[in-house]
Amino acid sequence: MMHVRVRLLVGLLLYPGLALQAQDMLDSLQLDAVTISASRGVLFDAGVKVQAIDSATLARYRDRDLGELLRDASPVFVKSYGMGSLATTSFRGGGASHTAVLWNGFNLGSPQNGQLDLSLVPGGLADEVTVQYGGSAALWGSGAVGGAVLLRSGTSFGGGLSAEAGASFGSFGDLRQQAGAGYSNDRLAFTVRGYRAEAENDFPYQVRLNGSDAERRQQNAGLLVQGLVAGTAWRINPRQQLKVDAWFADAERQVPPTPVQGAGSDHQHDRALRATSEWRRTGNKATSFVRGAWFDEELWWYGQGADSAAYSRARTAIAEGEMRMRAGERHLFGAGLHGTYTAAGSDGYREGRSQDRGALFASYRFRSIGRRFLATAAVRQEWADGVPVPFTWSLGGEYRFLRLFTAKANASRLYRLPTLNDLYWIPGGNPELLAEQGYAGELGLLARHAGRKGTTLEAGITGYRRVMDNWIIWLPAGNYWSPQNLMEVWSRGIEFHGEAGWRMGRTRATVGVMTSYARSTNERPKTANDASVGKQLIYVPMYSGGARAGMEWRSWCAELDAHYTGYRYISTDNRQFLDPYTLVGASLSWRIRAGRGCMLSVLLQGANLLDASYQVMLNRPMPPRHFRAGIRMQFNQPRRAGPAEPAAHAQTADE
Amino acid sequence: MNNVKRVFPFLLATLLILAGCKKDKPEEPLPGTGGTGAGRGVYITNEGNFQWGNATVSYYDIATGMVTEDLFQPANGAPMGDVCQSMYLHDGKAYVVVNNSGKVVVVDPSTFVQSAVITGFQSPRYFLPVGNGKAYVTDYYAGSIAVVDLATNSISGQIPSSGTTQELLLHGGKAYVTNETRGEVHVIDVATDALVDTIVVSKGANSIVQDAAGKLWVACSGGGGTPPALVRIDPLANAVEATFPFAAGAANPWRLCINGEGDKLYFLKGGVYRMAIGDTVAPASAFIPADGRNLYALGIDPEDGTIFLGDAVDYVQQGVIYRYGPGGNELGTFQVGTIPGSFCFR
Repeated sequence: MMHVRVRLLVGLLLYPGLALQAQDMLDSLQLDAVTISASRGVLFDAGVKVQAIDSATLARYRDRDLGELLRDASPVFVKSYGMGSLATTSFRGGGASHTAVLWNGFNLGSPQNGQLDLSLVPGGLADEVTVQYGGSAALWGSGAVGGAVLLRSGTSFGGGLSAEAGASFGSFGDLRQQAGAGYSNDRLAFTVRGYRAEAENDFPYQVRLNGSDAERRQQNAGLLVQGLVAGTAWRINPRQQLKVDAWFADAERQVPPTPVQGAGSDHQHDRALRATSEWRRTGNKATSFVRGAWFDEELWWYGQGADSAAYSRARTAIAEGEMRMRAGERHLFGAGLHGTYTAAGSDGYREGRSQDRGALFASYRFRSIGRRFLATAAVRQEWADGVPVPFTWSLGGEYRFLRLFTAKANASRLYRLPTLNDLYWIPGGNPELLAEQGYAGELGLLARHAGRKGTTLEAGITGYRRVMDNWIIWLPAGNYWSPQNLMEVWSRGIEFHGEAGWRMGRTRATVGVMTSYARSTNERPKTANDASVGKQLIYVPMYSGGARAGMEWRSWCAELDAHYTGYRYISTDNRQFLDPYTLVGASLSWRIRAGRGCMLSVLLQGANLLDASYQVMLNRPMPPRHFRAGIRMQFNQPRRAGPAEPAAHAQTADE
Repeated sequence: MNNVKRVFPFLLATLLILAGCKKDKPEEPLPGTGGTGAGRGVYITNEGNFQWGNATVSYYDIATGMVTEDLFQPANGAPMGDVCQSMYLHDGKAYVVVNNSGKVVVVDPSTFVQSAVITGFQSPRYFLPVGNGKAYVTDYYAGSIAVVDLATNSISGQIPSSGTTQELLLHGGKAYVTNETRGEVHVIDVATDALVDTIVVSKGANSIVQDAAGKLWVACSGGGGTPPALVRIDPLANAVEATFPFAAGAANPWRLCINGEGDKLYFLKGGVYRMAIGDTVAPASAFIPADGRNLYALGIDPEDGTIFLGDAVDYVQQGVIYRYGPGGNELGTFQVGTIPGSFCFR
């Protein structure tokens, strides 16, 4: 069984276009033995749209960051403040703290501001990236409102010795290196990877001055990002397994001034140590999990006119126990408990603050014998510092019909807790804040066809609706700002995606398209004169979409993609806005076997090929046309007979 | 054919859904009228959002009631800059302080065409001509007050002042400068640019006016153990004559203004408060309550006492200006740029 899977995975790596076709086979293989240890979000959230980023795309973004990956490979709107600068998300009309990014099942969002800077998450951190659309607070807890991004670092057994090294250089002083090594036998597995990126980002941009366009060069935009990712797994006995992953990241970044400012010298230093662990025991009927995590995040900010750094630090310990039990072929039950303790300090709090959160959760999955019908239910009750937050649930179902189609439906209750800054920032912090809460529902129709000669077709359309109440917003209260539960936000939209692939001899071609229509409006006046009622939230593009085409021939692979982002309003009355933009990118890669177990690949990539002058966020210029070139060497010496292709070690073992 | 039939409902659903979509292209704002009228009017400086570069100056023609939302962009073909703090009319020119762009732009008050830019500030707040072709500009983060040569439109000197300085006022050959963080009023001899005295008031000293009796009044938002207060200063003795404290709360006094006669003080403290200069106690309640509005700017027409009140709403949309008669009766409203912060009458 395992070998079949490994071969499949290798196949996926070599022929990314096969992903769709293979997915069905994987599905059916996984469902029996594997399902029970799959991610909670995938297992117990039927009816939601799920997108697994294919491994070829992941490989291309290995030395980029998660913000760039999501921007190019998903309809998530990534709010990027510039090359290498802060990047947050808007997912299905939500705000930056309404997307949960989970690494090995643990939420990476800062307990202090509820956000995660995606530009600091290296593409190489995860071996699997799954985008789970819509709310899944019943599975993941606070913050999984607009969607969740599931990152999973994998360490597999029986792979032997492997090593990799890569380097790339690009426009505007962009230099990146990474190296890693791993070893595994049937009982133990280790991997370690280091990465480093530095860039000047001194790109030219157009600015409008006194009626004519002038060219300026971005200044104070340099960065140096370094990190280490290590993982180990130990198969204690055939039933028990322990897995530990750790990630240390250190980033020194200058913060460029906006074009409307003079010179700037702001800079920030981020440092984080994060570790996760999972112990798993697989029984005949039940599987138990004990998980733990430790996050220690620090930030120093050196701003204008400041004598010393503004400093903040949050340390979080998480423990979780979960049990899943099978009852016959059709039923799967799950239940667990979760505890998170956070201690945080900041110049904005005056004294240390902490938060203690506990949750009980349970879930159920039903699959009909013929696998035509799948249904799940999940419930979760969380307490924050002893106070219960809204009881959360989700219900979902999927039904396959006419061979081609799957109909999906999901409804859920959602919540988001106020962050520590919301509660305790001085001045303004409001300890009386309630959790945001609301309801979401979605309906989807998926059509999937796999032809005999390697032809694949997939198309899906999803409509969603969500109402969030007690939406937290910072507003002036006298001489300072204070967060209040003031807004009610109604979000609704339609997403479409389609993909097709063909094979002709040694040539494989794929095309894909995805579009998103997202309306997200405030429904309640915040103050007496509020003209934002019924208007689109700021920085939520109503229309966006992308298309891509890829072709593989022997060891060559070419990709072309284009993305459109529509108007983003920047004032709540929708009178001020940013113009739409279209970005076109292309890449060409070439792979060659360089000796036994050794693979060499070369990548050339161009971005913003139409040389659009654009801004994602107001007054944050983005780079013009730019290029990079990279080389990567991979080596694998299997312990014994097995697949020789080196990339296989990177895949997660769910055996 | 069979497949086509299968796909048809799918296509139909897609089309129906697309038909329900909304146009996202915003409506173009109305073009400006191109400058001001000849009569009396009030300029409204709109801060715009920090680092957004959407600072504007709006204009309200008192005789006709016509409003121009943005004077600068149509006249100069470029946005004015980031965070417009204040504006001063002097010698046939308008000096507009653009805080986070670190500059003071010099424009024609009628056409708003820019004639010069004074640069080199860190975080300029308020502009005050002090005679002899000089002006002082408070510079919030610089730790000094800039001396500007109005002939060359350049900074000619610095007067050191630790802490953050805000509004300033000229009286009897001296400039009185509020220092917010230190809770002081600096007294500067404008002939020598030397700091000659310092008057301790309350922390958060932010705005200053002169009354008909020749006394100076300072609004302080309090903090650091000192109460929010209105403080009356005798400029002959450079000493505090009276202090009118308030209970510390979410809303503290700021935006202190005085009417043309110089006998009634107005300030914001959530709502609009009014106090006659001869009163012996501070007002206990608002003259015009905030009523759910986010009142952020206050100005009193020196000619007829009309109260202009700026509502910044949620800070991320057009501000609303209210006009009230001297008796507190509402006269009307109009809309301006983002975050109206100050008024400048002509």
